[in-house]
Amino acid sequence: MNSSDLSDGDLEDLYENAPCGYLSLGPDGRIVRVNATLCTWLGRSSDTLIGTRLRDLLNVAGRIFYETHFAPLLRIQGFFEEVALDLVKIDGGTLPVLANASERKVSDDLVFTRVTLFRAPQRRRHERELVELRNAEQETRRRLEELNAGLHTRINDAAELQVLSVRDAELREQFIAVLGHDLRNPLAGLAGGTNILKQIHNDAKSVRVLRLMAESINRMNGLIDNLMDLARGRLGSGITIQRTSGVRLEPTLAQVVNELRAGHPDRSIEMRLNLSQPVDVDHARIAQMFSNLLGNAITHGAEDRPVVVDAGIENGQFQLSIANGGEPIPQGALDRLFQPFYRGEVRSNMQGLGLGLYIASQIALAHGGRISVTSDITETKFTFSMPII
Amino acid sequence: MSVIERNHVQKHGSGEPVIVFAHGFGCDQNMWRLVEPGFRERYSTVMFDHVGAGRSDLSAYDKDKYADLRGYASDVVEIGRALDLHDAIFVGHSVSAMIGALASIEAPDMFAKLVMVGPSPRYINDGDYYGGFTAPQIEELLTSLADNHLGWSAAMAPAIMGNPDRPELGEELTNSFCRTDPDIARQFARATFTSDNRADLKKVQADTLILQTRDDIIASEQVGEYVNKEIAGSRIVYLDATGHCPNLSAPGAVIAAMNEFL
Repeated sequence: MNSSDLSDGDLEDLYENAPCGYLSLGPDGRIVRVNATLCTWLGRSSDTLIGTRLRDLLNVAGRIFYETHFAPLLRIQGFFEEVALDLVKIDGGTLPVLANASERKVSDDLVFTRVTLFRAPQRRRHERELVELRNAEQETRRRLEELNAGLHTRINDAAELQVLSVRDAELREQFIAVLGHDLRNPLAGLAGGTNILKQIHNDAKSVRVLRLMAESINRMNGLIDNLMDLARGRLGSGITIQRTSGVRLEPTLAQVVNELRAGHPDRSIEMRLNLSQPVDVDHARIAQMFSNLLGNAITHGAEDRPVVVDAGIENGQFQLSIANGGEPIPQGALDRLFQPFYRGEVRSNMQGLGLGLYIASQIALAHGGRISVTSDITETKFTFSMPII
Repeated sequence: MSVIERNHVQKHGSGEPVIVFAHGFGCDQNMWRLVEPGFRERYSTVMFDHVGAGRSDLSAYDKDKYADLRGYASDVVEIGRALDLHDAIFVGHSVSAMIGALASIEAPDMFAKLVMVGPSPRYINDGDYYGGFTAPQIEELLTSLADNHLGWSAAMAPAIMGNPDRPELGEELTNSFCRTDPDIARQFARATFTSDNRADLKKVQADTLILQTRDDIIASEQVGEYVNKEIAGSRIVYLDATGHCPNLSAPGAVIAAMNEFL
């Protein structure tokens, strides 16, 4: 055939040399016709193809998939479209194609099936890249999930620890509260007994011994109070206060001073109260705090120097300071004074739990104030200051 | 979710006994669409999708359970119990022929009769036993499925380009009958083509009919004859049909053979 004979209307040429492969299958699925294009692609003559089946052009894996998926699909819906197949060429190489197929029936009887095949190596490559991308994405997601799971575990662990420590704290608080209660009852008995004995015995020796006993009982009561406050303040909801408004503070402060004077008749306590107005505080708590600071000043201050108490209002701040003379507190100790269970270098007979200043500072905090301390060779001074509401 | 929903169980007719149709590796219960309606009048029919296929609940797919055909067989027994089946008839195509055999062994009262369409107890050759495939060939299939280039367009494209949850929103249902999640297809292929249930054949008590086509590369005549020999009292009928799916290519022959057996 020369070029002048060739026209687009030549259907034979359109079939044989179309830019796609054509296959016709008989009703039994065997190839009855194949075009030249497909023969060229496969490197096989039409004679060797006719009589075989479409599946024979595939590798074993493709055959199984074709028999289990595409052949049934073709029968169920009468066609299939865009099915990816790998044809095996005569040289053993593979040719990726996309196949469309449709059945031709005459009154429900299958006459033949037409199959069109398009070369699709580039598309297949592109699809493989998509699959690889998808796999990479899944891998990334899997790693992310692993990381998340790890994070989750750690958060859970932390939460569990938190729960444990809260439980632990509850136990400790309960323990301390029970301890406080159980210690207080026998102590109340002792205090009652001491009071009765005071009324019976008035000889000098008895009076001295009974006074020492009463002091010890007071000190123990103080320690128990501190333990209970620690339990509440440190582990529970914090020290809570109930402010009284419009009540003058002077009598409360004076009472604390008087109590300590009674316990230490040989010590001099100077008190300068200069309060122009009532200060809204929890009186019992301020008394507790003041008593602690004043008691410390008496215990640790030089015996030949007075303890000076100063109360005043300045720039909207209520200030209460307690100063004593004597050895200054070392700088290192100053920083840790307010920590619970901190005890300075004190004489053994004065050992407490180291909770007094901690609780005093918590009371100050509960009032929106703070306790500061300065200490040098002239004096050691604890100052409580709080804003007046 | 009930097993009825899990396996998308469809029931038709009201006669007795009940015939259960099970599809094999590949498509779904649509495999029976040319055969099943022929039995609705005189029997009740039940069709279902194996978990992972068709409209089954994909979330019920459990890699470990379905790594073995027994996982599928236990589903069949569950469905049978849910439907209160006794002395029913099980018709299994391809791998489901063996799944039905396993189910009938597990629940002997459930199925009185077994129709095996293109059965194979083992696909890989083993000594004197001819299964049709060599181990490397099956390995090649599994690798191809893992590579995911087989059936890419039919199975994978919708997941990326379309809306697999609502295929009705896509172009049409084209190719959807045999659309499978590639991971599940690969695992089902492994469970199917690496199975060896030859020892179970002797335990089958049900009255068994084997339907054998010519030119079936998945389950050859030689394999069908092996099954016939191993199941005591079984019958084998050679259909005038070719290929692995006579239920689609020669439904009339399948119906006729079944009617004669039933």
